[in-house]
Amino acid sequence: MYISINWIKDFVDLDGIDVEKLIYKFTMSTAEVEGITKHGEDVKGVIVAQILSVDEVENSKKLHKLMVDTGKEKLQVICGAPNVKVGAKVAFAQVGSVVGGQTIGQATLAGQISNGMCLSERELGVSDDHSGIIILDDDTPLGVDIKEVIPVDDVIYEVDNKSLTNRPDLWGHYGIAREIAAITGRKLKPLDVENLALYNDLEKLSIGVEVEDDENPLCLRYSAMRVENVTKKVSSWKMKVRLYYCGMRSINLLADMTNYIMLELGQPMHAFDQNIVGSVNVKTLKEDSKFITLDKQERSLDKGTLMICHEDEPVAIAGVMGGLASEITDNTTSLFLESANFDAVAIRKTASKLDLRTDAAARYEKTLDPELTELAIARFIKVLKDEDKDIKVTSCFSDVYVKKYPHITIHIDKDYIDRSIGKELSMEEITTTLTNLEYDIKVEGKNITIEVPTFRATKDVSQKADIIEEIARIHGYDNIEPKTNLWKISPVRRDPVRELEYSAKELLASKYGMSEIHSYVWYNTELNQELGIKVKDNLKITNGIVRLDNTLRREMAPTMLYAINKNLKYMPECKVFEIGRTFDYAFDGKDAKEYKVLGIGLSSTKQTEKELIIEAKSMIDSIVKINKNMKAQYENVDTVENNWMHPVNSFKVLVDDKELGYITIVHPKVRDAINQKASIVAAEIRIDILGEMLKKDVVYQEVSKYQNVTFDLSLIVDKNVKYSQIENVIKSADMEYLMEYSLVDIYENELKLAGKKTVTIRFTIGSYTDTLTKEQIDSQREKVLEVLNQNGMYIND
Amino acid sequence: MEEKISHLKEEVVEKMNQIKSAVDVENLRVEYLGKKGQVIDILKNLKNVAADKRKEVGEKANSLRVEIEEMIEAKKEELKEKEYEAEINNAEKIDLTVPVEDKVGSLHPITIVQRELEDIFTSMGFTVEDGNEVETEYNNFEAVNVPKYHPARDMQDTFWLENGELLKTQTSAAQNKIMLKYGAPLKAIFPGRCFRNEALDASHENTFFQMEGMMIDKNVSISNLIYFMKTLLSEIFKKDIEVRLRPGYFPFVEPGFELDIKCPYCDGKGCKVCKNGSWIELCPCGMIHPNVLKMGGIDPEEYSGFAFGLGLSRLAMMKYNINDLRALNSCDVRILKQMNIK
Repeated sequence: MYISINWIKDFVDLDGIDVEKLIYKFTMSTAEVEGITKHGEDVKGVIVAQILSVDEVENSKKLHKLMVDTGKEKLQVICGAPNVKVGAKVAFAQVGSVVGGQTIGQATLAGQISNGMCLSERELGVSDDHSGIIILDDDTPLGVDIKEVIPVDDVIYEVDNKSLTNRPDLWGHYGIAREIAAITGRKLKPLDVENLALYNDLEKLSIGVEVEDDENPLCLRYSAMRVENVTKKVSSWKMKVRLYYCGMRSINLLADMTNYIMLELGQPMHAFDQNIVGSVNVKTLKEDSKFITLDKQERSLDKGTLMICHEDEPVAIAGVMGGLASEITDNTTSLFLESANFDAVAIRKTASKLDLRTDAAARYEKTLDPELTELAIARFIKVLKDEDKDIKVTSCFSDVYVKKYPHITIHIDKDYIDRSIGKELSMEEITTTLTNLEYDIKVEGKNITIEVPTFRATKDVSQKADIIEEIARIHGYDNIEPKTNLWKISPVRRDPVRELEYSAKELLASKYGMSEIHSYVWYNTELNQELGIKVKDNLKITNGIVRLDNTLRREMAPTMLYAINKNLKYMPECKVFEIGRTFDYAFDGKDAKEYKVLGIGLSSTKQTEKELIIEAKSMIDSIVKINKNMKAQYENVDTVENNWMHPVNSFKVLVDDKELGYITIVHPKVRDAINQKASIVAAEIRIDILGEMLKKDVVYQEVSKYQNVTFDLSLIVDKNVKYSQIENVIKSADMEYLMEYSLVDIYENELKLAGKKTVTIRFTIGSYTDTLTKEQIDSQREKVLEVLNQNGMYIND
Repeated sequence: MEEKISHLKEEVVEKMNQIKSAVDVENLRVEYLGKKGQVIDILKNLKNVAADKRKEVGEKANSLRVEIEEMIEAKKEELKEKEYEAEINNAEKIDLTVPVEDKVGSLHPITIVQRELEDIFTSMGFTVEDGNEVETEYNNFEAVNVPKYHPARDMQDTFWLENGELLKTQTSAAQNKIMLKYGAPLKAIFPGRCFRNEALDASHENTFFQMEGMMIDKNVSISNLIYFMKTLLSEIFKKDIEVRLRPGYFPFVEPGFELDIKCPYCDGKGCKVCKNGSWIELCPCGMIHPNVLKMGGIDPEEYSGFAFGLGLSRLAMMKYNINDLRALNSCDVRILKQMNIK
């Protein structure tokens, strides 16, 4: 919202106040200022002049040769405007004057000398109109600076609308002026208004308000008045320029008047042509309907939308926009003036639905004070009279007041204020601030009873915290010294999942040289298609604009594959991971489950798939061992559920018998779509489940004082026998002196060992109490061999 | 006999000087001190020496033996020294300026900044909490004082989900749950991913990270908030930071503030980071709204507190001088590799 300092000066004396410092203080005490524009600084020396003669210019259809009287001299000026006429008073930029920051010099146009120029409104910077030159009133004195006639000079500052969301009272200049009065400690001047009681004897307008819900009426108040004999069509320069500087366009006097009062008081108003709308009914639509608004758009309105109707015919969407049919035109001389208050939520819903966030709707949705409707009409009549003295008010102030907001009284004591702010302020400062903001206060000792003014009581100020804000912000947060408070410190419990998360991240990055990525929590539809990744359906984003990528991820692997796909274009290998969320939706309308998952993506054009999947296993083993002191188990996945998984080389990862995820070589189809020369492996591990597992204690095992002996066994087994199967057999042999065993080597050679392989295992035999005898050692070897033989595993002789 | 001894000595000294290898040393030892060595021979045959001379000859022969032993030891050492010298002189001259492949990967800049902040907060006694990414409308809005159709919902374009939930638009979505979980007094931070339905450009992302904190206790004042934020931010930027508070509107706090810091990169003189404004709008904060405390089961008459939000993505960009927010979610390893681990 744009604020005009000239306008503010109507209500607060700013003499001797540095405007820029004031605007800074406003930022620090009230709301964020987004920018300052100084109008008129780039206009200097433009004066009022009169056209004495208009002649044709040879060889030009557009240009005219004018003789212009500045009051001091008569000058020849060449002008292209179509509306030049003899006797017209114009805004004249003489040679040496400054317009738009440019100094005007003598020029030659179509071979004719031009000593200056007549300005359009756009050239003067007071509107967008460039259709012709400015024609001033005939009684404008010659030779005076244009700034004495048109208020070109002004400082406009823009307040961030978002920071006014909770302040319905600040959506007009008078409310801003009240703040500025409080900030500067000056008096807010009372608003100059018409005494409406003068018209009490006149006819009462017919206003019907249908109330469906007494507790929450959609129309809280509807006030109206009738004005006739409006003959002036064009607004004063003051009004036109202020509207323009504040971001609106001057249309005609009546339209400008409603906008002007809205910008001044924050109360939206609507003027109907009295000949079309002489009485109103406020009611909701009983069925879905079409309606053409002022902007000539046909709108589809839902049943239940609140409308202003003339008899039964809708003439305006309440609080949002009027209808085209009842619009005031340049020919309108009598008007039915509406000043009403509507339910904030209803207006917001309608405006959002129609995508029609008008200035009126933006104000209503902030919950305006219904008391304002009357003040706004009284002010409207006053200002309109100033603009056009011949108008006639032909009705009394007609008013249907459906719901008043409850009066709010807040009790607070000074100790509470001091404690909340953390600084002792004087009672005088507190009471002055509140009084300047128009709170009614009563002080008894340390207790203050505060009556909240109606314009703050619709929702903004309701409790003590709100009063603390008023006092502290006007005092200035900058003037509150930082103070410590000795809070009790209690030990912080670390979240095991978070600990695991950081430990895993650091391990993967530092030991395995991987890069952590961040991506999006939804699938990339386009990439899924390109890479042939098929995903299961899941929870979707349903926002109005149709998103292509609207399905939340159920699995991390696609994210990893997207990243690999992107990076393998630039590098021979790409190893990435992310710890992120996946979502599990059952399509039952209930809340989705959310998991924390480590996704790993390994790809290389230099390593084999086997090397990569072993690397992935080593990563998971390290994470599990370091953090939980346990061993992960790997089992073949029976049937793969996702099409990027390898039907043979996909493995479930289990820790402590709980399934945590899987490792897989990426299916050749998906791999080829990414890069035919690469090996790709993906893994997903449920970090949340692993994190919550208790860490196994490290059990210290004394080192034997006696010498251990080792022997190797090379076993010939079927090629598809798993190492874990051999391990199970060794465990079942129950060797009493076995200290440990380990894999030495697996040897495969199709030529020498068709369908078989040799697995060499080293056994370490020993005792904590004795040196073993040769017989004891041999018995161990025999024992394990016997069991191995029983299971079809023989030694290689 | 004595003549022979002194002759032997000369002979040994002479030979010792010629010796060049450990084998020769051993041969020499055997020749003189071995079982049949010449010096040992003299000692063995002392009984043949005249009785009056026997003692003297014996002593001389013995001292010769000791002398030779010492010479041998000295010689061995001398040869060993030469060996080392030769090994060193012949050693390959290694060029350590040749680069080696480092296997160090990289953590995401958000992770690095987040962990740094978490460390600071835990050292100040804050619990670190985790929120969900998919949240209920109640937690994201109602419970932080933003009822349906409240204009404040405009501040955030929300991704709505088909089951009526949403992708959380702010870390504040965790406030209510945390208050109900811990009660007062309470000190907690909750970092997390947030989502807004926005078109992407260099300074807008639909997926970004925030970190929010709450501190609730008896008699917490605005002046405490200023002190705390100043201390915290000085810790984050590792220098004394000047802060200023302006009114700001956030429905879950009252009063609400926008906290600006004097630009730590130029000390307020004006630079690219602060866009020559000398102040940087960094962190929304405020005294927790009594309604929010009430909904969290905390009595606002007994307790008060403050809440603050830090843009992790923003801080990461400032720290690494990243000028395009989209780089953070780009998954581009060429960018991420530069980040290191700490």
